[in-house]
Amino acid sequence: MPVPLRRRLLAPTLTILAVLSTVAPAWALEDQVVVVTSYPEEMTGRYEQAFEKANPGVDLRIVWKHAREAQALLAAPGHGGADVYWTPSLPSFPALRDAGMFRPLAVDRAVLPGRIGAQVVSDPQGTYEAFEVAGYGIITNPAALAARGLTPPTSWRDLAQARFAGLVSLPIASQVGFSPALYESLLQDAGWEAGWALIGEIAGNARPITAGGQVADSVQTGETVAGLTIDFFARSAIANGHPVGFVYPPRTAFVPAQVAITAHAPHPDAAKAFVDFVLSAEGQAMLFHPDIRRSPVRPDVYRDAPAEQVNPFAQNGGFAYDVPLGLARSPLVVALFDRLVTERLPETAALWQTIHAAEAALGPTPAPERAERLARARALAGWVPVTAQDAADPALSALFRARRDTPDADARARALEATWSEQVTRVRAEALALAQQAAGL
Amino acid sequence: MRRGVLPLTLALSVVAGTALAQDDGVTVAGTGRDTLGLPIPALAPAHRDAFARGRSLFRQAWLIAPSAEQPDLDGLGPVFNRLSCLACHVKNGRGAPPDGADDVMRTTLVRLSVPGDGDGTGAAPRPHSAYGEQLNPDAIPGVPAEGKATLVWHPVTTTLDDGTVVALRTPELRFRDLAFGPLGDDVRTSVRMAPPVHGLGLLDAVPDAVILEAADPDDRDGDGVSGRPNRVPDIASGRLLIGRFGLKANQTTLRQQIAGAFLGDIGITSPLFPTENCTPAQTACAAAANGGTPELTAADLDAITLYSAALAVPARRADPAAERGEALFTAIGCAACHRPTLTTGPYPALPALENRSIHPYTDLLLHDMGPGLADGRPDFQASGSEWRTPPLWGLGLAGVAGDGAFYLHDGRARTLTEAILWHGGEGAAASGRFRALPAADRASLLAFLNTL
Repeated sequence: MPVPLRRRLLAPTLTILAVLSTVAPAWALEDQVVVVTSYPEEMTGRYEQAFEKANPGVDLRIVWKHAREAQALLAAPGHGGADVYWTPSLPSFPALRDAGMFRPLAVDRAVLPGRIGAQVVSDPQGTYEAFEVAGYGIITNPAALAARGLTPPTSWRDLAQARFAGLVSLPIASQVGFSPALYESLLQDAGWEAGWALIGEIAGNARPITAGGQVADSVQTGETVAGLTIDFFARSAIANGHPVGFVYPPRTAFVPAQVAITAHAPHPDAAKAFVDFVLSAEGQAMLFHPDIRRSPVRPDVYRDAPAEQVNPFAQNGGFAYDVPLGLARSPLVVALFDRLVTERLPETAALWQTIHAAEAALGPTPAPERAERLARARALAGWVPVTAQDAADPALSALFRARRDTPDADARARALEATWSEQVTRVRAEALALAQQAAGL
Repeated sequence: MRRGVLPLTLALSVVAGTALAQDDGVTVAGTGRDTLGLPIPALAPAHRDAFARGRSLFRQAWLIAPSAEQPDLDGLGPVFNRLSCLACHVKNGRGAPPDGADDVMRTTLVRLSVPGDGDGTGAAPRPHSAYGEQLNPDAIPGVPAEGKATLVWHPVTTTLDDGTVVALRTPELRFRDLAFGPLGDDVRTSVRMAPPVHGLGLLDAVPDAVILEAADPDDRDGDGVSGRPNRVPDIASGRLLIGRFGLKANQTTLRQQIAGAFLGDIGITSPLFPTENCTPAQTACAAAANGGTPELTAADLDAITLYSAALAVPARRADPAAERGEALFTAIGCAACHRPTLTTGPYPALPALENRSIHPYTDLLLHDMGPGLADGRPDFQASGSEWRTPPLWGLGLAGVAGDGAFYLHDGRARTLTEAILWHGGEGAAASGRFRALPAADRASLLAFLNTL
């Protein structure tokens, strides 16, 4: 559809004022807006209907793509016809911004602060804006916990306790999209070595989960009693009447999903209208819908939030998730997770059960020699074959990031992984022996 | 129809409570928003993985081909109605019609045909030469979408025997943005709102003989209710079989119904429907990349068929007022078509469904519903005024997800009362008796329907 001259003149000077309501603009919009997303249908369908109702005559066309393929489409000439990118994908937005694929957005920071506490969730350069945030926490099955006489876990550390052996749903980092950032948040909060030790000990209680929604499913059916999850799966299940509970640990990360308009959007006015809509009070309040249950980035809409909704602006434990750090080392974290956890679940469970049994057998005041052996066993069981210093080396992160596209990088990464596996096997064997010795087995 | 309408007083004394027995293996209690998405309790552990896979496919937004990341899930369109099954069957339930001239169909579609023979059998609808069998309002980038359709509503009223005035509305179908020119004067259209998808495996497991035992195509018993089966080609066997799925019973099996919806609604080919839905006029559609031949594998079609087959039926809820309402349901003739009880037979794909007494409140037969509901679009043996009796189980949970509840094939009825009053043709007598009921009895009947 040709763009009228008046609109072409207006468009570059228009700003995205999120304070604008959904009142239709005085000028006619283009007849469609093409939005690339990986949001689920339950969510896109509701936004499509509400947006089209607010903007009669504009056809919202969804192009559903996973992040990697969306990034390729948006980076292509003409952005593949796309006007808007609207999705939860932390790495995609800065990468596309750096490639010049977005146009500036001017946002009213009085209503859209662009940060939660110390954590920046929108683009400091002003090309993409946070649309919602999702936090990490623990989903529980209260009935299954009660049936076993178990106190509900309230922290990540709780999930490592011996009483939860075999009862924790653990998303596998290489297969469940939300989970790398979950583990990264745990590493950032606890520190690299302590974080890996905690992940390993939780893994000792774990049943592996290979798809995001299955964490909630497995807990709901009572296969397990608790699981590590991103909040909306659990909160939506609760809102739909499923008998599960959910708790945020005292300190957790809230990670953003974002929205941006492409630099050469073929339907710029309709694109602006869409972004205005999703950032409006109406669009933000839709996140409270029982089938969505994500957290708005407009503090003002929390006035009308459902009773159980946590306001991350008021309660995030002071934890500022470092998005760039998480993005930089995510491939490394995933690779380590597979070597330390995914490939060794039965062995990990046996090791930690031995340690926990030994600790229980020795009681609160064990003989010093046994206590020393047990402490050594615990340290070795949680050992990670990459030091914090090495993990901070940009070259190592870059190597694991490049492995997908570069055979040479993949070969070098594989060699490193083989070394890690060999080391971990040896160290854990020693840990098991020490635990057995400590218990007098 | 071989079972006539009982005198009211006799019926009230005989049939009250007869259909209350529940089968714990295939029904689930509760009225939560997700109730229609729960599996039958009798689902064997061996079927859980297939159920989960089927559920994933049901919810999947299909990808534009080619997708390197998920080649098993690409092939959307090129023209389509929605990206996923879930988009129309929201929360596994029924859809909603569009709301006026500015709206578009989201969970409703328009079937199209022109006079003539569609497939050489003499009965299949003949697809429109430019738009095919169904208007596809969306398309992948680079391919023209076919156009938009909506319904504009016109209010009418009707007065019951006790003077109660009921507001009804009649739909007017409108098209816009038609990409390949006008539809033509001879086009036949049929608006179809998405039906709920629970209990379909149980209906798939009803033997033909059970369906035929209620057929009375020539109304030999003279009760004004006939009922006859649709007979349509079964693609897998190549035979002409009884149709039981679709609003005009134009699909033989659940598997074929699902495969047909994948092609017609999402543009996904399957072993049963291996050809993309592009008409000769749609050159860009025909030139677009596909997601494999077929795009939905036989294994995945089996998985989503099992998922649909294994969706449980909501258990009846208790309501003291419903007992009299249930008796009235039979007494005024509703049960003549909405058969309370059927039996299932062998069903190897999901043995948990076999040999059960079920309560779907349908005879799976075609009935002439009169000119008010007629779409004028024949579909195999179904005439332009015939519809398959829709199952009523789960009716009380319509709208449980908070998005409103709409009834009848095009969603024109906003209440169960409106739906009953629209019954004409073979349903006219029962509808007339409903009009004559005292208000308290009408309320009892509605209370009964809401326990289903």
